[in-house]
Amino acid sequence: MEAILSSIFSATYLAAVLRISTPLLFAALAALVSVKAGVINIGLEGIMLTAAFAGATVGGLLQNALIGALAGLLAAALMALLLAIFHLGFKGDLILGGVAINILGSAATVAIGYQLSGARAGGLSLPPISIPDLSLSFLSEPLQTAIGRQNLLTWLALLSALGAAFVLYRLPFGAHLRAVGENEQAAAAVGIQVRRVRYAALLLSGILAGLGGIHLSMGYLNGFSRDMTAGRGYIALVIPALGGYTPLGTLVAALLFGAFAALETRLGSFDVPSQLPQMIPYLATLIALVIYAWRQRRKAT
Amino acid sequence: MRHKGLIGLLIAVAALGVALLLSVHVLARGIQGAESFERAAESPAFGAVWAINTLVMLAFALFIGQVGREAWRVLLTVASALLIGGLILLVISPQRAGDAYAALLSGPLSRLNRWATWIDDAISLTLVALAITLVFKAKLFSLGAEGQIFLGALASGLVALFIDGLPPALHVSLAVGAGALVGTLWGLIPGVLRAYLGANELVATLMLNPLAALFYGLILERIRLPQSGAMASALFPESALLPRLIPATRVTSAVLWAALAALAVWWLMQRTPFGYALRTLGANAAFARYGGIRLERAIVGAMALSGLLGGLAGTYLALGIYQRLPLAVSSGLTFEGIVAALLARNNPLAVPAMALLYSYLRVGAPIMQNDAAVSLEIVRVIQAIIILLFTAEGLLRFWQRRTAWKRS
Repeated sequence: MEAILSSIFSATYLAAVLRISTPLLFAALAALVSVKAGVINIGLEGIMLTAAFAGATVGGLLQNALIGALAGLLAAALMALLLAIFHLGFKGDLILGGVAINILGSAATVAIGYQLSGARAGGLSLPPISIPDLSLSFLSEPLQTAIGRQNLLTWLALLSALGAAFVLYRLPFGAHLRAVGENEQAAAAVGIQVRRVRYAALLLSGILAGLGGIHLSMGYLNGFSRDMTAGRGYIALVIPALGGYTPLGTLVAALLFGAFAALETRLGSFDVPSQLPQMIPYLATLIALVIYAWRQRRKAT
Repeated sequence: MRHKGLIGLLIAVAALGVALLLSVHVLARGIQGAESFERAAESPAFGAVWAINTLVMLAFALFIGQVGREAWRVLLTVASALLIGGLILLVISPQRAGDAYAALLSGPLSRLNRWATWIDDAISLTLVALAITLVFKAKLFSLGAEGQIFLGALASGLVALFIDGLPPALHVSLAVGAGALVGTLWGLIPGVLRAYLGANELVATLMLNPLAALFYGLILERIRLPQSGAMASALFPESALLPRLIPATRVTSAVLWAALAALAVWWLMQRTPFGYALRTLGANAAFARYGGIRLERAIVGAMALSGLLGGLAGTYLALGIYQRLPLAVSSGLTFEGIVAALLARNNPLAVPAMALLYSYLRVGAPIMQNDAAVSLEIVRVIQAIIILLFTAEGLLRFWQRRTAWKRS
């Protein structure tokens, strides 16, 4: 037991938690923005995959991380725009549209990789390119290991949570976004352009998810592999529920998910089935969902 | 009335006839003309293949009868999606696009084992799509089928592996019952949470799915065969397997499950008070409440029955297809089921035909990749396009307006 505890409360563990939480945090913020605007973005998984693929492929071909990252974000924005046009323009069902985006992202990335590589099953093998770490060499030892060598995107993710809080609660756009999500008719009645706000929310959501995607293929791992998001886009949809649908709550909840995911690799050397710690965040979210719903119901009556 | 009977008779004869031609095509393997009939008739599987193909044709006749003119819209959507998929193919692989499409569209009927894979796949898809239909009809967006498949397979598998000494009929029935029961219970959880607490069923099922898959993995790790490289359980004993209809294939009596399930769900939806509650809930929840319908019961019932069908799909995959517990029972079968349910417009009687249609593409895909070196994922791209085209109502209105404008 002591061995487990000392392994958990260490600087390397904290570093791993931050690393693993990064894509989750980006995607969870993406989910939060879309939910707040009343247009839940089920397509996060597909958008992340597209960004991960476009980033690693363009970046790898040109050997330029910046252009790769921009290509990834552009691809993510296009996928989000597709969903937005489908739902807001053509009145298609939002949830089914999201499902279609996920299928499209998963399938198109594999198909294009297969065709680009000349029909090899493994897909493209490009020289890896990654977004650099932010080296904080002035820090002394435990801090140096914990936060001194984190990826730039990890810092950006933490900043994005603060940014989301600022945008949602301090800017007029954020107020409009929340108004549209809470009561569409009322928002329209006071002159808010509901459709335009929702387009913006879905695009913002797509770009945040895209940042999570490029972190996966250009930071967390070196290169793209099929379905590498491994369900993170779905997990992200429920992290805001655990965080009470606020940006800072979402930040804490995402770190919590990351903490349990990081635990899994640590417990490998101990005799604990790896599935048990993995189950905890799902159970926690389920309980949070029930408590949240129960409180909402009590408030309503 | 006599008129109706005559039409029914004509449809039945036509179905038998087309099914005969189809069966001969599958069994004769390239032999042409009258000789092909002799060759097919020699096959021990001939009768069963013909019977199943007749069911397939009846499923399509039922689909057309049920959705009427809407059938054109379905065909148009699928055809446009295939066309867009073809254009994408032309861009990424201009030389092979023709071969690829030929392989995709004719592949599943080229050999008996490929035909059998098509039928097998359509059975699981029918069960999952019916599970989706039940909840979507009530406007409940539950994606819980994935978890129910895993747990249904696990329950049936455990009964198959660890209870012995039973006569075959009893052993199979017990295994099937266990899968259905566990699926129902797993479907009850999000149903109760939604009905009595108002917890979002989409989020709840998205949480329950990985929990089910993790639990499945946890148990499988403990019962796997230690000496084999693959993570899988031992093969099930003969007494727990579903009876086979066609030798040397995995086409089992589950063909009848799919047909009966479609009829049962239809009857439930259209002919019972529960079905009325379900449909009213889907059409207008507020109206349903004012009308005195007990929403809670309808929600819980729909989610539980959907769970039953999901569990049954898992049972079928374990007992009928894998005949053991594999590492991954399903990889996203729920989403494929959504497409089939969507094309069937949530009409249970139209589901089998749409499952067959979509399975046809699913089975053709690896044949296309094998024969023409074009990624099988193209079919999933087509799937996504089908969903987008079919649900974008504005697109239809835009098209209607244009044709109306042209006519005037």
